[in-house]
Amino acid sequence: MKEIQNIRNAVKFIQSNCSADDYTFSVNNSDQHYTRFAQNGITQHISGQKQSVSLSVAFAARTGTASVNRLDQDSLLNLVKTAESLAKLNQPDPEFVPSEPACELPEVDNFSTNTAELTIETMVDNIQKCVENARIRKAIVSGISERNINTSYFMTKNGFEGYDKTTSFSHSMTMKKDDVETKVSNSVLDHAKFDMNRQIDLLNSQFDSLKKPVELKPGRIPVILRPAAVLQWMFYLIWTFDRRNADEGVTPFTGQIGKKFFGENFSFRSRLDDPDLIAGKFSPEGIPGSNIDWIERGVIRNMTTDRYYGKKLQIPAMNPYNIILDGGETSESEMMQMVDHGVIVNNLWYIRPVDRKTGEWTGLTRDGVLYFEKGEVKHSVYNFRWNEILHTATERILALGPAIQQEYYARIPTLLIDDFNFVDVTTF
Amino acid sequence: MELLDQAMDSARSLGADYADIRIQNSRTESIFLRNLSLKNTSLRETHGYGIRVFKDGAWGFAHSNAFSRDEVERTVKKALAISRQSSRIKYGKGLTLAQERGYIDTYSTPLIEDPFSVSLAEKVELMLEINQALLNFQDIIQAVFTLECQKDEKYFASTLDARIRINTVYIEPMFSAIAAAEGDSQSRSFRPGGKATGWEWIRSLNLAEKAEKVAEEAIMKVRAGSLATEERRDLILDPIHLSLTMHESVGHPTELDRVLGWEADFAGISFATPEKLKKFRYGSPLVNFFGDNTLPGGLATAGYDDDGVPNQKWLIVKEGILNEYGSTRATAPVIGLTMSRGCNRATNYYDFPINRIPNLYLEPGKERLSPQELIADTRDGIYIQDQGSFSIDQHRVNFQFGGDMFWEIKNGKKVRPLKKIIYKSNNPEFWNSVDAICDERFFQTFGVTNCGKGQPGQRGRMTHGGATARFRQIRVGGSQ
Repeated sequence: MKEIQNIRNAVKFIQSNCSADDYTFSVNNSDQHYTRFAQNGITQHISGQKQSVSLSVAFAARTGTASVNRLDQDSLLNLVKTAESLAKLNQPDPEFVPSEPACELPEVDNFSTNTAELTIETMVDNIQKCVENARIRKAIVSGISERNINTSYFMTKNGFEGYDKTTSFSHSMTMKKDDVETKVSNSVLDHAKFDMNRQIDLLNSQFDSLKKPVELKPGRIPVILRPAAVLQWMFYLIWTFDRRNADEGVTPFTGQIGKKFFGENFSFRSRLDDPDLIAGKFSPEGIPGSNIDWIERGVIRNMTTDRYYGKKLQIPAMNPYNIILDGGETSESEMMQMVDHGVIVNNLWYIRPVDRKTGEWTGLTRDGVLYFEKGEVKHSVYNFRWNEILHTATERILALGPAIQQEYYARIPTLLIDDFNFVDVTTF
Repeated sequence: MELLDQAMDSARSLGADYADIRIQNSRTESIFLRNLSLKNTSLRETHGYGIRVFKDGAWGFAHSNAFSRDEVERTVKKALAISRQSSRIKYGKGLTLAQERGYIDTYSTPLIEDPFSVSLAEKVELMLEINQALLNFQDIIQAVFTLECQKDEKYFASTLDARIRINTVYIEPMFSAIAAAEGDSQSRSFRPGGKATGWEWIRSLNLAEKAEKVAEEAIMKVRAGSLATEERRDLILDPIHLSLTMHESVGHPTELDRVLGWEADFAGISFATPEKLKKFRYGSPLVNFFGDNTLPGGLATAGYDDDGVPNQKWLIVKEGILNEYGSTRATAPVIGLTMSRGCNRATNYYDFPINRIPNLYLEPGKERLSPQELIADTRDGIYIQDQGSFSIDQHRVNFQFGGDMFWEIKNGKKVRPLKKIIYKSNNPEFWNSVDAICDERFFQTFGVTNCGKGQPGQRGRMTHGGATARFRQIRVGGSQ
């Protein structure tokens, strides 16, 4: 309640003191606790509250933004003066768009009392379990356990007002012994839904499967990408999935909206009503959240769009607030029966664009790679480098596993993709 | 200063084995221009303090933005309470800290014209002029200009009686143009990196001339051919390009926290393990890498690190042999070192300092040699300028790099521009293939302002440099 009252007082101050033609005002608070461990011991341990207070103003089309990290009156006065003086010194922005008006926001619940009340002692107890598990295997474990409570407030001179409170708990751990290293991670909105024992079982299962890796010659090889790997890929796909860049001809998506550009088995959505995923009440630009189909059975339905470009095209501005890929019903063992041989990849790493226009990316595998043949895992193999045009790779999706809640913002399936382009092999 | 004393007195009286406080006020001015539209013109200020308490071989860290005696006291107690929880699961038998003494000192980035004293109007006018110059070329479809200026004012105090005031400033300009033709689009950038200096640097850069070259080369590049197959060829890499390769393949592998496995869960570990010290042939005998946090204009040059350890210069790779790491007070003792190399740095007041790459550069060649002479001496090779695609495994062995501009060299001459070129190599093949480095007349630096590391993630800053160098018989080819 004190937090809301402080924000209300700040809003009154801004309304009384800001003389700009238009403005947006936001307050973001976070209460964070991070416990980081490595080599079976805690190496970092951080706690504190952060605040970001931001004011964007416009005099006609001249704009300026200032941010401070306190809500006291001196800071707010400094905020108003700085933003206004920046705007007055600035050139008019030919793409200026007035702030958002009042609107109805979706009812969402991103807050969990279980997470908010999580104690440091419980977080350290969890890490103790990880370390004990590693010691049993004469291995070492490293990772991080983190708890976040975030509040976001956003208002505009034109009448928009939104407030949202979210929680999250994340835990990741990498276990290593000799040549074997593997990782699992999971995050949830509600700590009660986090199952430490299940995560440890998953880690052990991956760890035990990775014995004495050997080198496998790179080439076009069928791959089973587990959900953590698919999610890494999605981050980079979303990064380039912008409507304006597509229309301006700098990405592979030019002229493809409404057309089948991805594989039939590839559908990507954002949804407000998934009980395990964060729902976007409103975006940092003040756009109310809604259910969005981005790619439906390979057809591009929508692309990320900012307010200026949305207004120009007369379409809604939109951004993904969660990542949901449609899954299937094929199990991993069934996938292994569908191709003669292939590799199972736990995760991808260091993905970077090779060529923005063709949509070619490079990256490596990480956290363990298994070679299978005739439906059976044979042995683990060294990591690969891959160079792949990701949207064309979706045309080679042969099967999908059930979509699982991989992080508090993502529900992702395992994918079986034919002829994945592995181009090099590492020494481990 | 009163709060510094209070925090340290409080930490001592509560039984801390060691404690420090870092009060930090960071101001960042960011301007982002895209096709003559000012997408962002902002000034961000972040002011607060972080308190580290070391007790029974374990750390606790708490931060706050409230400047009162009560809040400082509360934050010290919180950090101590957290350290007690940390000590439940100690690293080995508990961390120890390398010896250090408390310094009383001040440091300020040398500069003539404070970038924050230059008006926004002047900055925007310059950026618009460059943006327009790029867009004047018919094939240029997108032009962007980003400018970031940052000033950090820090007060550091520790229970070793250190009292240090540090004021640093840096500027980072970058503009790029995308050309479209024949169904393709390609970009070319002017990206000199960040530099700890004043606005006089920007005035000396002659940006208008550089804009014209950027646009011309973007247009040339979009119409250029590529290489069909991957073959072993000689590579000639310019200093800005080399800065990225050394960052990824030498800087990160020689951070001692990675070597010890402290980053295993995220950023990764290192192949350059301690038993290789003084033995492992990292590069050819021409290769000397200096860690140098005294480098003028360097982004890690700040007088002292966030352990209160003075900036130093040392050899990380000496005549091709792995010589030493970048270390901190907490990492150095783990491998038996008695002193830290002063590489512990945090980005914001609320960040826990972590083992960072120092300013790191490749020593220029001792023989007189220019890039033109190097090209003239190369029969079949590729000359790569500036930075592009980059990717390296989590042990820092296998890597693939692109670039921003490529030229084919045949019989000592640049015969044609190329696009979509990538090369693959690994440690130790890559640095052992160096057979020529241009001399110090051609030494250039590049300041990295966005080195992502740590959990929670931090954007670290450091400067790299070198002179154009040749790498023999590296796998180079065109992308798909």
